[in-house]
Amino acid sequence: MADRELTFEIFRYNPQKPETKPYLQTYKLKETTGMTVFVALNMIREEQDPSLMFDFVCRAAICGSCAMIINGRPRLACKTLTKTLPAKIKLFPLPVFKLIGDLSVDTGTWFRHLSLKTESWIHTSKTFDPKAQEERMDNKTALEIYEAERCIECGCCIAGCATANIREDFLGAAGINRVARFMVDPRDERTPEQYFEVVGSEEGAFGCMGLMACDDNCPMELPLQMQLAFVRRKIAKIGLGVKEKKGVKLA
Amino acid sequence: MLLQKTLSKSNKTDLYLDLVELTSGLLLVGFLWTHMLFVATILISQDTFNKLSEFLDTYYLSYIGIPFIIVIALFHFVIAGRRIPTRIQEQRIVWRHAKMLRHTDTWTWVFQTITGMAILVLGGIHVWMITTGWPIRAINSAERMESFWWFYLVLLIVGEYHAGFGIYRQFVKWGWFPRKPIGYISKVITAIILVLGLAAMVVFVQLGGTL
Ligand code: SF4
Ligand code: SF4
Ligand code: FES
Repeated sequence: MADRELTFEIFRYNPQKPETKPYLQTYKLKETTGMTVFVALNMIREEQDPSLMFDFVCRAAICGSCAMIINGRPRLACKTLTKTLPAKIKLFPLPVFKLIGDLSVDTGTWFRHLSLKTESWIHTSKTFDPKAQEERMDNKTALEIYEAERCIECGCCIAGCATANIREDFLGAAGINRVARFMVDPRDERTPEQYFEVVGSEEGAFGCMGLMACDDNCPMELPLQMQLAFVRRKIAKIGLGVKEKKGVKLA
Repeated sequence: MLLQKTLSKSNKTDLYLDLVELTSGLLLVGFLWTHMLFVATILISQDTFNKLSEFLDTYYLSYIGIPFIIVIALFHFVIAGRRIPTRIQEQRIVWRHAKMLRHTDTWTWVFQTITGMAILVLGGIHVWMITTGWPIRAINSAERMESFWWFYLVLLIVGEYHAGFGIYRQFVKWGWFPRKPIGYISKVITAIILVLGLAAMVVFVQLGGTL
């Protein structure tokens, strides 16, 4: 692998300048040890082309800003080592999200819309008492919530999903995962029927065709297949009026 | 809350459609696999094949079963087909998307829609040939098979493909079992059925040759 010369083919388009049609621009770069696509992009921007647009914040797979299509697959640029890729690397911005320019897309608006639509907050009638002891939660439930919360909202699962590519209103795996997170939370007082309103349609659980591009491409390796299936089964039960056992909240 | 959604609350249509897709799919896979096992009785002997067919006839199982399966298949076609993008632009997006992603499960879905369409046409012809050449006996089948083996070869492959991956996807969607083993098991079953089907075809074609 030593001393490879990498060829980057990068999608260029600036919606502010629609007179220039989208095109692919080629850059060449010497590979260094431990190089990630993120490092390479920074080198290109510093040494070759300051006009290149792409996003990053944390460079440690935490913020989810650097997701892009790397050789056809949605990946985090900061988590993808160039040594795992062939010498020719093609970069595209994520589909589905609004294109800001070149490799940069606006995932924020999309995810905010998702939070509003799924009402991603604890629905409770209790008033918060800052002096009271925190309510206890059993370990299993806490772990289930943490697992779902590991989502960094990078959008890879949305970009990879054929359904999300053609249906703008589809919540996608990230959205359904979010709903699963609240379903298992005992503090959320939403009724099964209210959950059905949120995901009991083609926009939610039943829009998914089971193609598993989300499950295969999530950089955080969330168990998306199981989350999607969990919500689908729960919602189907609610819709069919199957009663859950007493004292068990949905989970 | 949006007005139109408030007024038509708890709309269960999408749920029911999904369940009909699931049940009709499972019934059809069950039917197809039994059908192929029945056909494969020719591998034992002509007599077994004929006896089985006569048995199905005398108890009217064929006369109930065939129309029932046709109805289920049409239902399945319409309902599972609702997923197929109807607008040309959407079809282009999916096609590009599948090419870009190079992702197996996405490709199998694209082929799933294509094989589904093919089955509708080929399956229709098959039913028509069978019902006009009633009853089903080894000799009739052998004649048909000898003249139309290429037709049956295509139908067999397309049908098994569609059934195998269809059932895999349902299991994946409902999450009753983990993905990897289910993929493996559905492939093994599909392979077994394919081998049986091909073997039966060879026997029929040879039988047809001796007539
Ligand atoms: S499994 Fe569902 S959510 Fe995931 S990529 Fe496929 S259709 Fe999209
Ligand atoms: S579920 Fe995974 S792929 Fe989807 S947004 Fe969250 S971290 Fe990214
Ligand atoms: S820069 Fe934050 S996830 Fe890559």
